[in-house]
Amino acid sequence: MSEQDSSEGAPKTGGGAPDDPSRRRMLKVGIGVLGGGVAAVCAVPAIGFVGFPLTHEVTSSGDGFLTVGKRSQFSAEAPVKVDLYASRRDAWTRVDSVKVGSAWVLEHEGKLVAYSTTCPHLGCAVDFDGNDSVFKCPCHRSEFKLDGVAASGPSPRPLDTLEIREEEGLVAIRFQRFRQGIAEKVEV
Amino acid sequence: MDWLDDRIGIKALLGGALDEDVPGGARMRYVFGSVLVYLFMQQVVLGILLAFYYSPSAASAWASTAYLNDQVTGGWFLRGLHHHGSSAMVVVTVLHLLQVVWAGAYRKPREVNWWSGLGMAGIVLAFALTGYLLPWDQKGYWATQVATGIMGTVPGGEPMQQLVQGGHEYGNLTITRFFAIHVFVLPLALAGLLGLHLWVFRKHGVTPPADLSEEELVQKTQPFWPNQLFLDVLAMALCGAALVGLTVYTHGAELYAPADPASNFVARPEWYFLFLFQLLKYFDGPLQIIATVIIPGAVAAVLLALPFLDRSPDRKPRGRMKVLAFVGALMAGVVALTALAIVEDANKESYREGVELAKQQAERARELAKEGVLPAGGTAVFDNDPKQKTRLLFQEHCATCHTIEGKGGNEAPTFDGYGTREWLTALVRNPADKRFFGGAKGHDTMEPTPKDSLSDEQLAAVVEYMVYLQGDQSEVDKALVEKGKTVWENDAECSGCHEVEAGAEGVGPTLAGRGTTAWVARVIADSSAPDLFGDTAQMPKFGDKLTQEQITALAEFVTSAGTQ
Repeated sequence: MSEQDSSEGAPKTGGGAPDDPSRRRMLKVGIGVLGGGVAAVCAVPAIGFVGFPLTHEVTSSGDGFLTVGKRSQFSAEAPVKVDLYASRRDAWTRVDSVKVGSAWVLEHEGKLVAYSTTCPHLGCAVDFDGNDSVFKCPCHRSEFKLDGVAASGPSPRPLDTLEIREEEGLVAIRFQRFRQGIAEKVEV
Repeated sequence: MDWLDDRIGIKALLGGALDEDVPGGARMRYVFGSVLVYLFMQQVVLGILLAFYYSPSAASAWASTAYLNDQVTGGWFLRGLHHHGSSAMVVVTVLHLLQVVWAGAYRKPREVNWWSGLGMAGIVLAFALTGYLLPWDQKGYWATQVATGIMGTVPGGEPMQQLVQGGHEYGNLTITRFFAIHVFVLPLALAGLLGLHLWVFRKHGVTPPADLSEEELVQKTQPFWPNQLFLDVLAMALCGAALVGLTVYTHGAELYAPADPASNFVARPEWYFLFLFQLLKYFDGPLQIIATVIIPGAVAAVLLALPFLDRSPDRKPRGRMKVLAFVGALMAGVVALTALAIVEDANKESYREGVELAKQQAERARELAKEGVLPAGGTAVFDNDPKQKTRLLFQEHCATCHTIEGKGGNEAPTFDGYGTREWLTALVRNPADKRFFGGAKGHDTMEPTPKDSLSDEQLAAVVEYMVYLQGDQSEVDKALVEKGKTVWENDAECSGCHEVEAGAEGVGPTLAGRGTTAWVARVIADSSAPDLFGDTAQMPKFGDKLTQEQITALAEFVTSAGTQ
């Protein structure tokens, strides 16, 4: 509020003693301070309240390791496709056992590996061709060898490996998604 | 300022708003209207903020309220302010009304001001009523049921009730309707009436104390800006500080467990409706309408007609004793009824217990809600309870054959009372009972033990010995155990099939550790182990189907059924 308000000065009507200017100034400052305080009661907490999603995870789905089966299910002979189920959080709602993605799991050179079924090229679901022992993308004919390396076709990088963990005979995979169409593996 | 003024004429606007004389000078008694405007604006701001998170549907109202209250930064504070703000509006509205009555400000030519004010008071109460339901918790749900139920008992009220609640019973439409009324209809109606109220107020000005002469009024005149406005803002700040204090002290508004139509809940309205609640207690059956419509309607009619009923020549209180007495009696009645309602509840043990139980449930539900509520919403929050999860697991895998908590099949032993002395005694006497192995196809390995082969006294001792063999020796009768052991070794035929030492193998289960959670877990995983049921086992093996965690949870569920 400007100090040069039009009502500055003595009251226009009435014969009473006009307030002296310093008292009027004090009242105006008082109005500003108290009014600001009253407004701040809502305004200050509103910042953290409205901005909550900036500093907190409000949605999530299967960030941790997801159990996909027993170790004995997987071998070096042929990759096995597993579906990944996780709980999905959306603010106040939780949905259990939602399919969040899938993966190919196989034993390669004595170690278990898991590949995302999402083709690194443009995101189609990669199949496995048992006759040729290669992963084939049905969309743009990218082919990948059992070690995940792109053998032919347009894929700019190998199949994306997923973190895999073995515990008490059970196999668990951490599901992630990666950017498509680029040579680097970058999580999204 | 000048730049802005040249373009939009802001000085004229502000001047118009602030440039007003207050005859007789600024006074604290004029602050109530301004404080109400402030409270209304604050409620609007807080309401908008809450709407950033609140979701109006039967499935998500409670969960979203719990989320914004318990998880979102500052949520409890803003919701608490909104909740207590409604109480503050009711209190200040009453103070404003009392001041107007005392000053005689309802009199000619301010009738329209009086009526618009009464209209707004009604809207404030409607705000309170509709807002109470929105969290869809037990308290709001049941208290509002009473309010709409009353509406339905009034002649011709049934269609109105259905219109308000959107059908015969509460559901999604009830919430969306109450939400629409609370956040769109009522604020617009209030804002409209407020505009009229202020317009008429500016036309007639304040109503100064009646005992001041014309000269005194003129002589003491002060400008609204800044003299009266300072007092107004001071009062707003005091009111705001009180609200903040109350909100912090109570840690925000209550949130009870999600609305459960199948439960019973000690429904009470918000404190400022308690007098109506109490009034209702005095009028039963067909007389109920006296408390719900006739008395409130008559009071409203008298208040509305006050400008015409008051025939005294001036505003001096002395000449208006009848009016003042009526309003005074009204307030006294409201206060007395409210006090009675509170005292009656405080003395009623069933009410206190009900509230205590409701609070425990609320705490549990809000804790469980932090894991997220399943899409069914509301009471589905209790599915997060580990015990409830186990219960569902039991239903899925075990209840076809076993019964627990009175539900399930009878093809295998019932678990209610599992492992208690009574359970063991009955089992030994008649294992072929439906309660035990009677339902299991062909499981007749265990022979009944009639009284002539083992007396009740002997059996009691043997059972005590069996309890002792479980491993927990703190609650056994030592002497009886010794006796039981002797009976076991000399008289009973049990030892023909059952071994007592851990790891030993017999036809029937070995009794060391039998009935403990670990033992039950082993049975669930694979009951055909040689020291368990061996060749006689008929139960499927769950070791492959369930995780160790699930098996342990189920085992605990079964053994705990014996301790309740």
